[in-house]
Amino acid sequence: MTLRESIVDALVEVKANRGRTILQTLGIILGVASLVAVQGLSDAGRRQSLKFFAEFGGLRKILVLNRPLKQRVLSASQLKSQGLTWGDVEAIRREVSYATQVDPIVEVNLMVRTPTYLKEREIAGATPDYQAVYKFFPARGRFLIDDDVNSMSRVVVLGDTAARMYFGNEDPLGKTLFIGDVGFRVVGVMRRKEFFFNDGDRNALEWMNRMTIIPITSVFTRFNGDPDRKVTYVNVMVDKVDNNPKAAEAVKKVLFRRHGGVEDFEVYNRAERMRQRQQQNQVFDVTFMVTGLVSLIVGGIVIMNIMLASLRDRIREVGVRKAIGARGLDVALQFLVESVLVTSIGGLAGLPLGIVFANVITALLGSPAVITPQMAIVSVLASVITGLFFGLYPALKAARLNPVDALRYE
Amino acid sequence: MTPAPIPAGTPVIRLTHVTKVYDSGDSEVKALRGVSLEIEAGDSIAIIGPSGSGKSTLMHILGCLDVPSAGEYELAGTPVSRLSDRELARVRNQRIGFVFQAYNLLPRASILRNVELPMMYAGAGREERRERALEALRRVGLAERAKHLPSQLSGGQRQRVAIARALVNRPSILLADEPTGNLDTQTGREIMTLFNELGQQGHTVILVTHDMSVAAHARRIVRIVDGLIADEPEAAAGEQAS
Repeated sequence: MTLRESIVDALVEVKANRGRTILQTLGIILGVASLVAVQGLSDAGRRQSLKFFAEFGGLRKILVLNRPLKQRVLSASQLKSQGLTWGDVEAIRREVSYATQVDPIVEVNLMVRTPTYLKEREIAGATPDYQAVYKFFPARGRFLIDDDVNSMSRVVVLGDTAARMYFGNEDPLGKTLFIGDVGFRVVGVMRRKEFFFNDGDRNALEWMNRMTIIPITSVFTRFNGDPDRKVTYVNVMVDKVDNNPKAAEAVKKVLFRRHGGVEDFEVYNRAERMRQRQQQNQVFDVTFMVTGLVSLIVGGIVIMNIMLASLRDRIREVGVRKAIGARGLDVALQFLVESVLVTSIGGLAGLPLGIVFANVITALLGSPAVITPQMAIVSVLASVITGLFFGLYPALKAARLNPVDALRYE
Repeated sequence: MTPAPIPAGTPVIRLTHVTKVYDSGDSEVKALRGVSLEIEAGDSIAIIGPSGSGKSTLMHILGCLDVPSAGEYELAGTPVSRLSDRELARVRNQRIGFVFQAYNLLPRASILRNVELPMMYAGAGREERRERALEALRRVGLAERAKHLPSQLSGGQRQRVAIARALVNRPSILLADEPTGNLDTQTGREIMTLFNELGQQGHTVILVTHDMSVAAHARRIVRIVDGLIADEPEAAAGEQAS
């Protein structure tokens, strides 16, 4: 018996028992809908994380941080190591071929003074690469340029919020800002950066709008002076995401060597972080997933019961089919195709319901609608596997019927 | 796929000392106690006997629905007494056409599909199936009802459909179990006439019945009593002659 003829038989059987089929599919519909919703929601979550990360480097970024040593007593080599320095940055530029941009940042706290403002602020020393890494572009004026870094210029670029804090409603461009006791000329005001997660009205990127940025070399030389040229952290942009782990290893190797074997730094691979973050998000998905799986199991048990009941009504039919030449395999296939057909109908109905679930939830959270091709894959897989699994027992039972007993059955 | 036709006069069925023992808990039930029987191709034979005589058991073994406990069964030259379930299914499909008392058509399948069913299990293509099923329906005079459902037909018509289904794979034997049991006398007679015609066309027909008026249509009558063949005077003579 061909699969095609088994499907014809199953369609006839399902059509003849519409009411029963609807009852059989309810659990499957709910189960598939839940799993489809999970798929959509986790995909929506993943996309948002990606979008957020893209605001400051995306998955191609490797973050290198200083890690203060914890021991009280330090060895000679540990004492000698300075942490991250400008020298390290140049070494990474030279030696790590995967790196497209190496963007060091120094953070220092210094008094900021204007005619209307006086307060200690965090000042960032940066290079022109900063704007590409963070997609942080000037609204007016300009960002730092290579010349600023080479000549330790006394120029400053302000975030939107910072500009307002320092100068109120006045135009800051061209004005002087005192940092420490050194006067810096404002050459640019940056475009606002904003990112809102589903669950809040807090701008997750407000810290960027509050930035005060000067050339990194000016931090090294204009204030107390730092002969070691220490760096707070370094962003390394990798040419492509796939090279991320290799690049992270290469960076580690360079730093390890330059720091005399002392691991006073940390290297974060953003792609790796993204995976960890997603795993944390899964707590939310698990609820839906469990609901979906429980519904599928309950729905599957219902289908198994109804298939067994229907087998009882069709024992003679099985006997006749066997008498005219059906093998056990043919009979099993017939029943299996029927249960998969029923669950597939459930899957077909569950898919749109799941899309509705996912979109109602994302609408409540205030984020955009989700429809992904994976949703269809989830619904097909979930329904077919359920049909196969729970159809197997009735199918085998039918296949094993003795033809003599089956023909005699009243 | 279609088995080679058996020349008339050669044995299509040969049972040698066939026994069947059912194990029902503590006691063994000997349904057949050593049955030897030869049936020639093209013959028509009635197996009669009271209920509990072993008649049904013999029919199940002849129809390859069951296997003997001991003894040999050769069907169309093939020993079938030790075949696996899978092989038996194939023999039933290719060599045997069943006709049941209760017709046993699939209620939701059309007449045509019912007749096509044995060919589906044989793996025949769609065109061939359709053609041969219509041919079989023509032989029983129901080709114009091909699209109908069994429930739209009378009892006699349904039994004709069942006969068409039994014929469609060109089997070596037609095995009919009380084929007129559910029919009125007139319709029953029509069905027996059809069996007689099929016999004349060279089909080997085996009737299993307790109705002597049905058995009378057969050229040869075998009576089963207590799991043994009781008497068969004409048959014995016939065998000697061949």
